[in-house]
Amino acid sequence: MTTRGIDYDRLTLKDAFDLAILVEEEARDRYEELAAQLTLHHTPAAAGFFTKMTGIEEKHRQQLQVEREKKFGSEPRSIQVELLYDIEAPGYDEVRAFMSLGDALRTALASEVKAHAFFTEAVRNVKDPDAKALFSELCEEELEHQALVKAELAKLDPTPNGNPNDYSDDPVAL
Amino acid sequence: MVDDLILGMAGSGGDGVVSAGESLLSAASSEGYHALMTKSFGSQIRGGESSCRVRLSTNKVLNPGGALDVAVALNWDDFFRFGAELPLSVATVFIYEEKAGPPPATLKERGVMPREMRAVPIGELAKKSAGTDKAKTSVVLGLLSGWFGIPSTAIARGLKKKFGNKGEGLLEANERALATGIEYATAHPLAEQHTLALPTKSGPKLLCDGNDMCAAGALFSGVQFFGGYPITPSTEVMQTLSKEIWKYGGVVLQAEDEIAGVGAALGASFAGKKSMTATSGPGMSLKTEILGLASLAELPLVLLNVQRGGPSTGLPTKPEQGDLFQAVFSAHGDVLRPVLAPTDVSDTFKITVEAFNIAEVYQTPVIILSDQEIAQRKEAIDPIDTSKLEVLERRRPTEAELVDYSRFKLTADSISPISHPGMKGGNYLGAGIEHNEKGEPTASGTMHARMNEKRFNKLDPLKKRTDLFEVSGDPKASIALIAWGSTAGVCREAHALAVARGLKVKLLVPYLLYPIAEEIYQSFFASVRSGLVVELAHQGQLYRILRMFTDVPRGLKSLARSGANPFQPSEIVSRLAEMSPEVN
Amino acid sequence: MNAPAFQAKDFKSDLKPIWCPGCGDFGVLQGLYRALAAIGRPPHEIAFISGIGCSSRIPGYTTAYGFNSVHGRSLPIAQGVKLANPDLLVVVAGGDGDGFSIGGGHVAHAIRRNTDLTYLVMDNQVYGLTKGQLSPTAPRGLQTVTSPLGSLEEPINPLLYVLAYGAGFVAQATPADMPGMTALIEEAIRYPGFSFVNIQSPCVTFGEDDQQLKAHKAKMKTLASLGHDSANQLKAMDLARAYGTELYTGVFYRNPNPPPTYDALIRLRQAEQSKKAVPRNRILDAYLQK
Repeated sequence: MTTRGIDYDRLTLKDAFDLAILVEEEARDRYEELAAQLTLHHTPAAAGFFTKMTGIEEKHRQQLQVEREKKFGSEPRSIQVELLYDIEAPGYDEVRAFMSLGDALRTALASEVKAHAFFTEAVRNVKDPDAKALFSELCEEELEHQALVKAELAKLDPTPNGNPNDYSDDPVAL
Repeated sequence: MVDDLILGMAGSGGDGVVSAGESLLSAASSEGYHALMTKSFGSQIRGGESSCRVRLSTNKVLNPGGALDVAVALNWDDFFRFGAELPLSVATVFIYEEKAGPPPATLKERGVMPREMRAVPIGELAKKSAGTDKAKTSVVLGLLSGWFGIPSTAIARGLKKKFGNKGEGLLEANERALATGIEYATAHPLAEQHTLALPTKSGPKLLCDGNDMCAAGALFSGVQFFGGYPITPSTEVMQTLSKEIWKYGGVVLQAEDEIAGVGAALGASFAGKKSMTATSGPGMSLKTEILGLASLAELPLVLLNVQRGGPSTGLPTKPEQGDLFQAVFSAHGDVLRPVLAPTDVSDTFKITVEAFNIAEVYQTPVIILSDQEIAQRKEAIDPIDTSKLEVLERRRPTEAELVDYSRFKLTADSISPISHPGMKGGNYLGAGIEHNEKGEPTASGTMHARMNEKRFNKLDPLKKRTDLFEVSGDPKASIALIAWGSTAGVCREAHALAVARGLKVKLLVPYLLYPIAEEIYQSFFASVRSGLVVELAHQGQLYRILRMFTDVPRGLKSLARSGANPFQPSEIVSRLAEMSPEVN
Repeated sequence: MNAPAFQAKDFKSDLKPIWCPGCGDFGVLQGLYRALAAIGRPPHEIAFISGIGCSSRIPGYTTAYGFNSVHGRSLPIAQGVKLANPDLLVVVAGGDGDGFSIGGGHVAHAIRRNTDLTYLVMDNQVYGLTKGQLSPTAPRGLQTVTSPLGSLEEPINPLLYVLAYGAGFVAQATPADMPGMTALIEEAIRYPGFSFVNIQSPCVTFGEDDQQLKAHKAKMKTLASLGHDSANQLKAMDLARAYGTELYTGVFYRNPNPPPTYDALIRLRQAEQSKKAVPRNRILDAYLQK
């Protein structure tokens, strides 16, 4: 999780909305991408979960978008996606072919933790009171998301199910 | 009076016999003679022995010819080193430097005694007239002018070109040496007069070699990129383009190796530009992988291979027709790429233009198989009428075709409109990996078969190109004579001689060597019972490819021998005569 | 601030990468999308050339014109593209085997010509596409399927290699630091001349554990943090010697006075010579004897 050149001193409420929207957008796109990778590499349970996460992140994005439009209409954004790197999106190296659903959930959980840390930091740094309020709200939401993923994890069969690498075919030469 | 004169000269590199030959050629061509010159050298870069042959004629010169009418030896060792290139006959007039001493026994051992041996104090005459014996060849030119009627004004023009902007007094000195040679010849006439007739039709000539004509043909076609690496005997193409191509907005890249040369050329073609590379056998071996890429990516590319003796380094300065198998077969995978061959200096121009047209229209690499003789022999040829030559371009996508563009769209003629970087909407992935119509990689056997079919089918029209075949003689003749490349020139002369002898022979010269135009061959073979496919390569590669791809008459044989040892028309006529039922 | 002309997603094609999940190349691809968005050239004006290897698949995953050519020959092909049309933005990519083994001979010449292109090497010290053989940057002693008893060879040092031939822009990056890598790719593309970025992009399937991104995160040191002056070529070479032991990221060397590029010189020559052009039907006149 890294950012590049976010100027918290001048960050307005509109910017805060846009930043949050982009965070959700990045996460949505990443989950979609990872789901596609895992589908192509025959890891359906994890892929299915990431597809579900894609939908969730998109829903969050839409909610934020609606709020933003209510307040600021279609005013252009001055925040670019290039400022954000892997805020709520799992890193590319978090996934593996044949990863278990449990691992996929743990990856998502780690990402929610990252996001929470980001918004916590943002609350601390931002000057605009409205923006601060929004970030605080988002902080809370991230905690809720963590709880949801944890609940899913709890539902999993806790008995060990073997290392998939012990059973898979060798990689293929191309 | 004779209408054809073959001269041969040998000396050490310092004697300048080759540049004397060039002066002679230039003089003759400016007078309106047809002329042809070949050179041969020892293996030293500088300071070795050298020889040249010049054939002058009032008619079109078809080949360098056989035995010499006139031989010039500045010293005996150097002359005999070129035994194969400078054969003598009983009709030869032999001029030699008096100081070199009487003809050694080796001359007799060759089995022929020239008609006339003339010892001339060449060096001494040079010293007297020009103040240096280095002006020997100017004396020789004077002798040739005086004895054989080559116009001295033209030779003087040649000297002016050579010495005009060198040291002070040099031109005048050589002019005196020339005059001295002429005076000597006049004062000491030949036993039997041997004067070259005046040209029947005067008019300007082009003086050039095959590599010049390839470069000129490429420029005429609008070549925009040349990538290559120096290799004998093709380098002159790169050298010429290095000077010329910039004028037309093009680029020559002398690459770090043969692979990079063809790679850069292919990159330029991908970028939408007409592009070529040139090489010889060893370089062709290295370029093969990229040629496969050009075929699969369906990118236009012209590759000139000036054949030399092989395999490996082989004989870098001698011709051989041993790279046809390589041109046709050297590829991994199931692939077809057109192979064209010029037969002389003049048609190298047209064949190069044709190669660009085929490459562009069919989006394919095209190989031009020239050879050392065509590429490096200097000829005075009639001007080439370019007014009817078409220059064709690759089919680019229309606005409509750029909407949801498919680079490898399967079309009725199997040719897909081709975009290039910079063209909006034409974005695609070029690749060496098999692809679908969109250009996306695939491992599907069905798609592979479909794309292969497309790549083969698009070239089918070539097999109907009768204009890429020269057929002459009685259509009902039962004896076939087939030759390609530089050997075709010998066979044209052999054909004329055979017909004059009453043999029922017809000639076929293919400019398109591959794909095999089966119908064209079958229609030619209809009347044929026997015949020869004449090739300068041990395996007789066209003969074997013909037998592989079409039915040939039982009596059609291969007349083949290794390179560097050109055929003579007379030996081919004898072989044809043996085949002729009318004579037997 | 105006909305940029392009966003990262404008450079993403519909083709799904075949790379193994977890591969370093995914991050490189994402960074490249973003760098290209920042550069702002439309995809159709970009030619993206590669050779053969896992990383050489990258052009197909962009919306630019791509050419996934043959093994080791991306640089010659790319130079042909750029010289044929200097208006194009030309990016070259490939692996360490493609660039420094089979294609190693071309690197020096691309550098000495100084054609304006950007060469991104995804260095993973292994041949992934063919299943884990020894690559030219693999450390001595490494056990692979073709060196089961350990490699007996020293690795190539790509950084020192290109610095020694005088490359004007030399950097190293890792997708473990996405913003840093993205910024370096962007800077390399903007550099007027041959630019090189060695990207440590781990092979998740055949690579060593200590070469994965998590290890990179712990190990990497930015050259900026070392106080390196990127105009100092000798110091850059000194630092580059640590390749294989240290993971330095950032710009090793950037020529503060970039010399003219080959493509620019070619344009000058063409402009100069164009006055001498003759019409097509007069080309043969050069050989006319009067």
